[in-house]
Parts: sequence; structure tokens; C-alpha cells
Amino acid sequence: MAHNRDYKPEDILFPNQVITENELIDEMEKSYIEYAMSVIVGRALPDVRDGLKPVHRRILYAMYEDNLTSDRPFKKSATCVGDVLGRYHPHGDASVYDAMVRLAQNFSMRYMLVDGHGNFGSVDGDPPAAYRYTEARLSRISDEMLRDIDKDTVDWDPNFDESRKEPRVLPSRFPNLLVNGSSGIAVGMATNIPPHNLREVIGACICVLDNPEAELPDLMEHIKGPDFPTRAIIMGRSGIRAAYATGRGRVVMRARHEFEEFGHDRTRIIITELPYQVNKRQLIRDIADQVKDKRIDGISDLRDETDRNGMRMVIELKKDANPQVVLNRLFAQTALQSTFAINMLALVDDQKQPKIL
Amino acid sequence: MQEENKTLMTEEADEVIIPEVETAALDADAHLEEKVDTAYDGSQIQVLEGLEAVRKRPGMYIGSTSTSGLHHLVYEIVDNAIDEALAGYCTAITVTINEGDTITVTDNGRGIPVDVQAQTGKPALEVVYTVLHAGGKFGGGGYKVSGGLHGVGASVVNALSEWLQVRVHRNGNIYEMKFARGHVVQDMTVVGETDHTGTEVTFKPDPVMFDDTVYNYETLHTRLREEAFLNAGLSITISDARPGKEKSEAMCYAGGIREFVTYQNKGKTPLHNEVIYMSGKRGDAMAEIALQYNDSYNENIISFANNVHTPEGGMHEEGFKRALTAVLNAYGRKIKMLKDENDKISGDDCREGLTCIISVKLTDAQFEGQTKAKLGNAEIRTLVSSIIMDKLDTYLEENPGVGKTVLDKALTAARAREAAKKARESVRRKTGLEGGQMPDKLQDCNERDPSLCEIYIVEGDSAAGSAIQGRDSRFQAILAMWGKMLNVEKARADKIYGNDKLYPLIVALGAGIGTEFDIEKLRYHKIIIMADADVDGAHIRTLLLTFFFRYMRPLIDHGYVYSAVPPLYKLTRGKTQRVAYSDEERDRISAEMRGGNPNVRVEINRFKGLGEMDPHELWETTMDPEKRSLRRITLDDASRADQIFSVLMGEQVEPRKEWIEKNAQYAVNIDI
Repeated sequence: MAHNRDYKPEDILFPNQVITENELIDEMEKSYIEYAMSVIVGRALPDVRDGLKPVHRRILYAMYEDNLTSDRPFKKSATCVGDVLGRYHPHGDASVYDAMVRLAQNFSMRYMLVDGHGNFGSVDGDPPAAYRYTEARLSRISDEMLRDIDKDTVDWDPNFDESRKEPRVLPSRFPNLLVNGSSGIAVGMATNIPPHNLREVIGACICVLDNPEAELPDLMEHIKGPDFPTRAIIMGRSGIRAAYATGRGRVVMRARHEFEEFGHDRTRIIITELPYQVNKRQLIRDIADQVKDKRIDGISDLRDETDRNGMRMVIELKKDANPQVVLNRLFAQTALQSTFAINMLALVDDQKQPKIL
Repeated sequence: MQEENKTLMTEEADEVIIPEVETAALDADAHLEEKVDTAYDGSQIQVLEGLEAVRKRPGMYIGSTSTSGLHHLVYEIVDNAIDEALAGYCTAITVTINEGDTITVTDNGRGIPVDVQAQTGKPALEVVYTVLHAGGKFGGGGYKVSGGLHGVGASVVNALSEWLQVRVHRNGNIYEMKFARGHVVQDMTVVGETDHTGTEVTFKPDPVMFDDTVYNYETLHTRLREEAFLNAGLSITISDARPGKEKSEAMCYAGGIREFVTYQNKGKTPLHNEVIYMSGKRGDAMAEIALQYNDSYNENIISFANNVHTPEGGMHEEGFKRALTAVLNAYGRKIKMLKDENDKISGDDCREGLTCIISVKLTDAQFEGQTKAKLGNAEIRTLVSSIIMDKLDTYLEENPGVGKTVLDKALTAARAREAAKKARESVRRKTGLEGGQMPDKLQDCNERDPSLCEIYIVEGDSAAGSAIQGRDSRFQAILAMWGKMLNVEKARADKIYGNDKLYPLIVALGAGIGTEFDIEKLRYHKIIIMADADVDGAHIRTLLLTFFFRYMRPLIDHGYVYSAVPPLYKLTRGKTQRVAYSDEERDRISAEMRGGNPNVRVEINRFKGLGEMDPHELWETTMDPEKRSLRRITLDDASRADQIFSVLMGEQVEPRKEWIEKNAQYAVNIDI
């Protein structure tokens, strides 16, 4: 192949360049631990004290700085995203907006930390509107997460370009980690903490304050189990107990249903609440597919009658079908029954070490 | 260095033999002492001349004076103790790194003989430590087999030590002797009584001889663990007694190389529970083989001859590979998983996912190759091959479940290889690969001579633009990688060809991958990974290193892979700006910029992405060969590297978690 060369090979030899050596293993281990710890500490796991991952904390604090509290008017989401990126979070804009949207979804958060105005997505998996359309401000409970932050209550770190300071943790007045839960996949470890009822958790806190020796049974007097924003029903208590005692456990969740008579002696199953994190549209498609493939019998029609009055999924049964049998098959073969694998992992000891709770 | 020339540790001192002329040709000035009879002074001087040769040309005896040579000193002493174990007299060895990086090696063998050696008229102990090529391994009786890559023994360690002290427990007495740089400082003296036998050696490597005299615990640990695996039942303890680094581990493996296989497979999922173990003997030669298949796609054969690692293989590996292919093909036909004579599984397919340890012992080991890392004794090939032919076949007959699993694996591998070939061909057709068309992502350089060319692999979103504008287009090519690339540890070859992230890289380098990799066709001899100092940068570095290690190994072996060293800090005072590559440099420059005035404000910023720099800044700090510094990636211990890659990048989560928990404290540069 022809190419022009208007220099001598000696010109680009550079015999005196500086070359040091490093072993492959060392290079690999160093890079890997940097990557792993950055993801664990900086991205995927929440701090045990405020239950927030860095991106969430930065969103809340940036909104607080902009005076976007619950008693002020809404502001375009784009401003919030821009402020978070510019001041504290030197990453992609999508990561910030996605995190913010989740904080405003009533089916994702037991108690929403961001008060959203506009389309913030739905339980059907519809995407939220773009950030130039939606508006947001802090919710009332977030005011409690940030209250007194200016009164020297928490430690501060410099931000990425050292032009500002950001809080290492928020002075949350309630145990947000338990109340809102958290989930994240880091490297070599993952966390999945279910949300709980605020009243129950506060009850348990008072119980511990009164009696620091309180044991699991005492606390379970107050906290009966997880409390999901999508409600539904938890089957059995042993998984809950295992999770609270050891940090790991499996909770089986079922949709709430009722049987309705209609037409000539026929029954339909009405689903009004779904297990946490189940996408309704996918669920319906899945049931329909299974009916088509004859893996589930006895279903004649399937409709989604959800409207502004709430969720209503209708499963009409054939005349000769036994409702209970069909329902059991649905539980066994579809996401109407789902498992929440609890894995209580969070950062303790000032964000240095991941630990099972 | 063909002959056995190790330390003696025989029962009787009169077995000490100083070899005659056959060694003289090799090392003329080391053998003046052979004519010596009685004169004390004369012999002293001649002995020193022998060891002076070691100090003059240490590389000849221990390979190099780098850290590998430094660690080699320990292996020499330990090998002596292990020879004592092979002879059946030693059961425990301890190695301690003391404060000040001195080393103590203790064994409970018979102890080095202390009586007077007839030829020299001096205590055998002194002969061992001051005469080159003195040993009990030249004449029959003392040892049947013994190892030692360079086989130069205690005298060389002594010559290269600032001081060395040896204590022998023997005949109920403790004999002590001290040396400095090979000279006797204290003659052999009885310093006490004892109820056991053994030898204790402490030495301090001479800082004059070595570039660096700091010992690495991990390096010693890895090697000693290997020794413990190879010598079933021998207990080896390694301790680090340096303040702040204290740790210790006792290693003793009753299962020998079987446990070695289990250890190698840690972090991988074995396909069958039991490690298959076979051994056999012919005359003085013996061989043992342990193997187990796992679900990975890599082959991991580690071979040893007389406990010496043979990274380049040799006759024992050859015999094994040939026999394995033959046995699996024959077995496949027998159980009708292979249809006929034409239905064959190739050797590579038979070894996919195989972890295997081969250890042979023989009397006259011949090492070949540039680095003496290849076993040349042809008779061992027949021995290993007949063991496999015979015993593996029987094993598979008796364990049809295992047989079927192994064959299944090999057949899947064969199919994948076929698929990979097709994928590769289709890729070739699609893009005219062989026509020399380069990917869009590559901004090539003008020069065509690979030895002058460099390619920077740059993370797309941040720095490609700066790098392209800042480079010297005569010899610097830039390849932009967009987004996260594939983790090849968890993927199979056919996936890799089809991968849109890796494909431009493979084409740009031009040398193919895997078994077809041809270093001659490589288009650049400097492959420089230039990634940001943030999470994604660290991640992409690990992914690239995994890819190079698994599919372009010769790149690393030839030292063609580099890491760019971008600056870490930018310091600004008014309008002057400077950069620093380390924390120390930052502090120094900051002090310089202040110029003794504590009130001057010097702003210090940490660089996070290469994209933060202007093209000219990137050129000046990181790419200009006159000013930059590069870090070459070298490979010392391939088997440990293999394990690390499996743990960090492999399928199993649990070992990775353990590793992270253990190493969390070493993370220095966490990016939030």
C-alpha cells in the first residue's frame, strides 16, 4: 500500500522514552477493585443512615438548594436535572432523570420523595414524559429528610470540581432505608430491601429507644412485615422472619382478587392489586399467551378495565371452569404471584464497607 | 546450565563430590579449587574467586537481579529443603520474611553434614556454602531426583547475600556458621545442644547486587503453595513478620496435585465432582496427572518436571495432549457419541474447560528452550501417554456419567468452533476484512512498520476527539471504543467474532484471535490502553485486559500491551499551570509553586476524564514519547493470572464477593 513518508524512521524511534513495568495481575486487581468499590460505594448501594444512593441524595439536596420544597410551586424537571449534573453528579443526564422519576412514582415508592407533576410513567411500564415537559418539587416527607441540614448536622464533602460542598448523608428524621426500601445491583453483591409502613417503623424505633435490648419478637410486634406501595398480599411469615433475623429471606406476594358472578351462572376473577414491581401490561400479555398455548385452561376473556377509579383487571372464566383451580394455575404460572428476595445490604461505617444488616 | 549442581545434604560427608572437568567448560574461573589439596590460605582464596564469579555475573546463576532474581534466592534454599523431603527425611518447612526483608528458611530434615569433607579438608557445611557445584546429587546415593531450574544452590545465595547465617541441628548439637558476601566471618562453632535435626538459614540479600530488596509475600506464597501441592503431605508455612504486614499461612495438602486441581478450579463450576487422578512409573521416572473439567471455555494445563514449573510445556504435555485426544475419540466411538472414523474431535476441543496438573519426576531432566522452561526428555512422552491411554480409558469405562459429560463438553466446543469459523468467515465476507479495510472507529497512522507504530485504545465518549487532534499522525493511531464492551470471560468464541465492540479492535490489530492469533501480522507493537480515571475507565481496562489475556495472549507475552499514564492533578497558580502524576509529585510541585510563600493560593484539581484536557494538553502530558511515561504490562505467573481472571470476571459470584471484601481496603481511587 502506497503512503507518503516525509520523515525518517529514526525520527519516530524515541529511544529515550520512559517505560515502567507493571505485572498484569497487579494492573488487573487495581483496576478491578477501583471499579468494584466505585460501583458499590458510589453507585449501587444505599447508605444505611438515609437509605439513599448518591444520585438520589444529590437530587434531593440540589432541589433543596433551589428552594423546591413542598410549599413552593413546581419547577421544570429539566432545571433539576441540569443542576444535579452541573453541581454534583458528573454522569449521564438519563441516569439522573431516571432516578428522579422513580422517586416520584407512587407504585415504586411507598412514600414518594419527589412530588411530580405530569406523566411520570405507570405501572404498565409506560415511559415518563421527557424532562422538558414534567415538573417537580420535593414532597412533604422529603422536607423531613432535609430539615436542619444547615445546622451542622452532617458531614460534608467537596464536589467533583471542588467548587461546592455536598452532604455525605442527609439528616433524615425517619429511617428511610426501611421505609422506602432500596434495590441495586453492584459488583459481586446486590441489595433488595422492601419498603415498610412509616407508622410501624416509627413504632419499632420508639420501642428500641425505650428498650435498647429489644429483640426481634419485640420489634415484630410493631413491624408485621413489608408494606408495598402496590399493596397486595404477602403469603406466610417465615420468609419475613428469616429476612429480619438474618438479612436474607424470600417473601411471596400475591395479587388481591375477588370473584364476581355475571351473566348466566358464570364467574370472573377481578384483580385489584398487583405484587410489587410487576408490570401490568406484560402480565396480561403473558396470561394471554399462556391461554393461547393451552397452558392455562378455563379462561374465556381477559380485559384491563383500569381507569381513574383504580386498578381492575378482569379475567372471565368459561362456564365449566372451577374458579379456584384457574386462580391457582395463574398464581403458579404468572407474575400474579411473585417473590421478593430480600437481601438487606447497605453501606455502614461511613460508606466504607458494605454490610448485611 | 545443564548439570545438577545443588547443595548437598547427604547423610555422609564423604559423598560430597566436587565435579571434575565436565563443568569447567561452562564456568572456567569457578573451578580453580579442584587442584587444591592442603594449603588453607590458598584454598580460601580460590573458593572466593569461585563465588566472585557469581557476584560478577549474577544473571547466569539466578536469571536476573530484578525482583524475580531476589525471590529466586529463597527458592534455592527452599528447593534444598524440598530435596530433603523428596528423600523422605523432611516433613515441615517454614519460610519467614523478617523485618528488614531478611529471609529465614527452616526445615526439619537431617541437617547439612558437619563432618570434615575429605577432598577439601573443611567441614561439609562450609563447602556447601562456599563452593559452587558442590552437592550430593551428582553421585547416585544421595538423591534420586531433584529439581532446581538453575540448580546453583546455597553457595550462590551466600555469594549474593550481604550476610548469611546457618544453624545446623545435628548429632545433638547446634552448629553455627556466618558469612558475609560469601566470605566466612565465623567458622563453624557449636553454640548449643538440641533434641532434633534440621537446618535454619537466615540471609539478607545484598543491596549492592539487587535493584530492589523488598520481598513480595504474594509472590513467595504462590510459589510455596505450588510446592506444597506438588509434595503431598509436606507442610510448608510462610510468614510475613514485617511490622504492619504480619500474616502467615500453613499449607499442607494430603491430596497433592488433586487438591491443586481443585484449587485451580476455584471460582469455576466443575462438570464432574471427582478430580481424576492417574500415576505411573517406569524405571526411575514417574508421572502423576490430575484433571477435572469445568464449564469455562479455557484450557489450563500446568506442568512440572522435578517440581520445576515448565511454562512452555515439553514432552510431558505433548504426551498428555496426544493421548487425551486419542482416548476421548476412541471412547466417543465406543459409546456411539461419535458416529464413525471421520467424526473426530480435535485436541483443542478435547481440552476446552480442562484444568490439569502434570507432574513428572526423572533422574536426568533436560530443559530446553530460551528460558529453560520446556522439558526435552523424549522418554517421558511415552510414559505420560501410556498412563493416560491405560488409566483414563479405564476410568471413563467405570464412570460413564463423567465420560458422557466430558464428551458432551468436547462436542459442544467442536460445534462452537465450527460456528465461530462460520461467523468469522461471514464477517470477513461482509466487510472485506482480508482486503485490508479498516473499521471507521480507527484513525490510522501513516507509518506501516509495526515496530514503530502505536495504537491508543480510547474510551469513545470522552477522549477520542482530543486524542485524534492531539496525536502525532506519523505513528500514532487512535481506536475509539464506544460503550461497554463484552466480558469475554463469560462468552464463547463465536460470540466474540460477532461482537460489534470487539470486532473493530480485532480488525485494527490485524493479527486474529485465539489459536489463530499471528503475532507477525500485528500492525502495532505498542497497544496502549488509555482510559479515564473513573469507574467506567477502570471497568473498560479490566475488560480489555481480560480480552488480551484470553484471546491475544502473545501480546502480553511479548510486552506489547501498555497502559497510558495520564496526569492525576492540575495545579494552578494565577496563570501558571502544571500537572502532577502522583501524590508526592503534587505536593512537591505545589511547594515549588508556592516558592516558600505560604499565603499563595495554589489550586489543585483532580483530573477525572481525559476529555477534560485540550488536545494539546493530552499530547504534552500523556502521548508525547519525549515527555510521557508508559506502563508496560508484564506477566510473571500465568496460572495465578488465570485464577484472578476467573474470580474477577467469571460466572461465579461468591468468590468475587470474597475477593472484594478482602481487598476493599486497598481501593485508593474511588469515584463517586
